[in-house]
Amino acid sequence: MTEILRYSDLRKSVHGRLLFDIEVLAIHDRTCVALSGKNGAGKSTLLRIIAGLEAPDSATVSYAGQDLSWRRAARKMRGNAIYLHQNPYLFDCSVTDNIAYGLRRRGMPLREISVKVSEALEWAGIGHLQMRNARELSGGERQRVAFARARILSPRILLLDEPTSSMDSESRAQAFRMIKLLKDEGVSIIVATHEYHTLAHLCDDHLLLQAGGLQSQPPGPQGSERKIIPYS
Amino acid sequence: MDSLSAATAESFRLLFSGDADLWIIIFTSFSVSVKAILFAVPLAFVVAFLMAHLRYPGRRAMIAGFSAMQSIPAVVVGLTVYLVFSRSGPLGDLKLLFTQTSMVIGQALLALPMLVALSHAAFQAADRRVWETSVTLGARPVRAFMTLIHEIRFGLIAAFIAGFGRIIAEVGCSMMVGGNILGYTRNIPTAIALETTKGEFAQAIALGMVLLMLALMLNGMLAFFQGRGVMSS
Repeated sequence: MTEILRYSDLRKSVHGRLLFDIEVLAIHDRTCVALSGKNGAGKSTLLRIIAGLEAPDSATVSYAGQDLSWRRAARKMRGNAIYLHQNPYLFDCSVTDNIAYGLRRRGMPLREISVKVSEALEWAGIGHLQMRNARELSGGERQRVAFARARILSPRILLLDEPTSSMDSESRAQAFRMIKLLKDEGVSIIVATHEYHTLAHLCDDHLLLQAGGLQSQPPGPQGSERKIIPYS
Repeated sequence: MDSLSAATAESFRLLFSGDADLWIIIFTSFSVSVKAILFAVPLAFVVAFLMAHLRYPGRRAMIAGFSAMQSIPAVVVGLTVYLVFSRSGPLGDLKLLFTQTSMVIGQALLALPMLVALSHAAFQAADRRVWETSVTLGARPVRAFMTLIHEIRFGLIAAFIAGFGRIIAEVGCSMMVGGNILGYTRNIPTAIALETTKGEFAQAIALGMVLLMLALMLNGMLAFFQGRGVMSS
């Protein structure tokens, strides 16, 4: 496994309170990592820092073997490390335009975008929704559009924030299927969850964010038990 | 009563016969106010966005300041611009007093606080996920800003229309810095004020009707752009 991204001495405080102080966090390609922890432990904040959406107090970042400041790393993360909110935001336009958004930002020719969008719609099983306004979709359909919109950019890292919370069983199964497909395509995935047992079958590793530190748990169903191994 | 009826009938005649003086006044009014609003809107949106998006010392005071400046009378703005551009003022050498340019500047300054305050409310109410989703999908800050504008467009259009409504109908600033010169700086409100003092009601009523029509149109546009008028799910 090749290391894509490494954060060292990653510290983050919120309103003067230390949220976490992580010695090392390494992300390898083609892996799916579950990130669990109690509410307020900082799971979402950690994912947002990795995505370049929120600045840490301090950190040393190494991306593809190159040492960078967080600000430079954040610029490189745009479109390469995609963060999906717990309830993904879809722009007030058609499903097709939502999926094409990132490719348009890259200046890809329209004909090529059209081909890729058709393929992404088919991949997510939402071809019948292509002309619908994205705001009119159900929660499960929105999630599929968000996955397709992220996948079309071929990201190296996908950061999923509680992707299956408050979903019915059918939508949840669809989300798992898409996470599995993305993992098989070689995307590195970090999933923040407080229900690790539901994702255990997809994950290669399980990290627990607890008391401001990151600890590795044994993967698999037993990983939901609190057996703590220092992570590095 | 008869003279009022006659003046109203005459005002219709002026409007529909294409009276040159009347239409020049209407054209001047729109030309100046459209330029002023187009000048003020981009600046207002950027300032409002920065106030809503960034955390910096003095931010709250700035928000309160723009909110308070909405109630500055047009005539005070006019006086300020007059003093700046008067012969002995700091920008007197530019010789802009009693020109359409000075009217545009005055009206832009008049609209700016309202545009900033109303658009700030729209930016403040925007979902933070819009910006984050744009950025995570690879948008640069300018593009993410444009996406955000698109997502909150109804609030911004309302700000635009309110700002335009404020300047198209104001008298004080235009009168002071424009000088009410026929065929050059005389606009609808200053012409109405002048014709009324002269007892020439026909032109004043005709111009008043134009302003009323405009008010109705602006409100119609606002209703149209507000779309379905329902909360998004």
